[in-house]
Amino acid sequence: MRRKAGVGAIQKQKLEQEKYRDKGTEIQENQFEQMTKQMETFRVNLEEFASKYKNEIKKNARFRRQFTEMCASIGVDPLASGKGFWSVLGIGDFYYELAVQIVEVCMATNYKNGGLISLDELRTRLIQARGRRKEHQEITNEDLLAAAKKLRIFGNGFSIVPIGRGKHLVQSVPGELSMDHTAVLQQASLSGNAYISKSTLCKELKWEPGRTQKALDHMVKEGLAWLDEQGENETLYWFPSLFTACIVSKE
Amino acid sequence: MAEIEWPWQYSFPPFFTLQPHSDTRAKQLAAWKSLILEYYRITKQAIVDIREVHSSPLFNNSAINRILFRQDNGKLSSEAILLILEELAKSGNASPLDKTKQRWLIYWHTLEEWGEIIYNWAQDNGFIGSVCTLFELTQGEDTTHQEFYGLDTEVLIRALKTLEANKKAELILFDDNQGVKFF
Repeated sequence: MRRKAGVGAIQKQKLEQEKYRDKGTEIQENQFEQMTKQMETFRVNLEEFASKYKNEIKKNARFRRQFTEMCASIGVDPLASGKGFWSVLGIGDFYYELAVQIVEVCMATNYKNGGLISLDELRTRLIQARGRRKEHQEITNEDLLAAAKKLRIFGNGFSIVPIGRGKHLVQSVPGELSMDHTAVLQQASLSGNAYISKSTLCKELKWEPGRTQKALDHMVKEGLAWLDEQGENETLYWFPSLFTACIVSKE
Repeated sequence: MAEIEWPWQYSFPPFFTLQPHSDTRAKQLAAWKSLILEYYRITKQAIVDIREVHSSPLFNNSAINRILFRQDNGKLSSEAILLILEELAKSGNASPLDKTKQRWLIYWHTLEEWGEIIYNWAQDNGFIGSVCTLFELTQGEDTTHQEFYGLDTEVLIRALKTLEANKKAELILFDDNQGVKFF
């Protein structure tokens, strides 16, 4: 008897559990369906919005930034894929086009700056190169950074070097810059001059002379820095990419 | 005389220090080459005298207190300028006037180019088959708007010799009579 009743109880329990599970799945499915519906509506709306304001997004730099910010906050990258509905927007195309032009400018100025260019110079040259057409005029530094980030897929041949105070350099030569090299560029940029000396670096960064010299030698070897032996006390290391006359030169 | 438009490198202090890195040095020498040719073209000069260059604004930018490849004694290094002149010679834009290589002729057009320019002028103006004096070519009224107006006589003679070698002209040089006949 005990045994029989035991089986019944277990079976009953099992049945209940199954019922609960079924209910759970049902609820889950409902929620999922609702979510899918919501996402679908959202997607449609976003798509509508984006295609409606496609030109505005392309033309108006502020609008474009707000749009990409909005996308970022909901975890969508309109640049990420050339497929799907994002491709109809041509947002990705805008940045890819920009990226190609960035490469062109970098190649064209490589002979004088050794493959290191400030974001501001890059922007000035790009706007010149893109011509006077109205829809091409507004390119912000944020746009350039977004586009340049896309170029990372080419490996370390292309990278962005932050040099403090919101300034950036774009490096377009193979051979990654280490933290030390970036720090050297930062110091040169922060000093407001286009040069840096070994003693200044040692003082500002509290580095050993050996470490400083190694970093500077590397910059010279990469063609990024030029030596000046006619400074007042010691050798000065100059960076054409930070030198104003070089930046504004029409060449 | 036209004002020279200095390139950005001219105000870039390290431009006046010979760069140790080979790629950078190649860029530096190329920029020096074109600057020298431009400077000699604008100022219509032809001769570099290595003993006198330290006083030339071309090699001495007093605004930034830099002299081309300065040595420890503050003087311009003559080896450094020889290096650039040799580079110019390689592309046919310069040649030494003496064995010690102290004085150099600068050709902002190569001699062959000059020959061609002068021959084209002679063709366009109906001087084929006739004789021009060298004075007429570089100082005459017919050539005031030509590139070779005011050209150094030595450079002119050397350019005409390239034409002579191609049987396009014959130089007539005796005493003070210097002329050329175009064929």
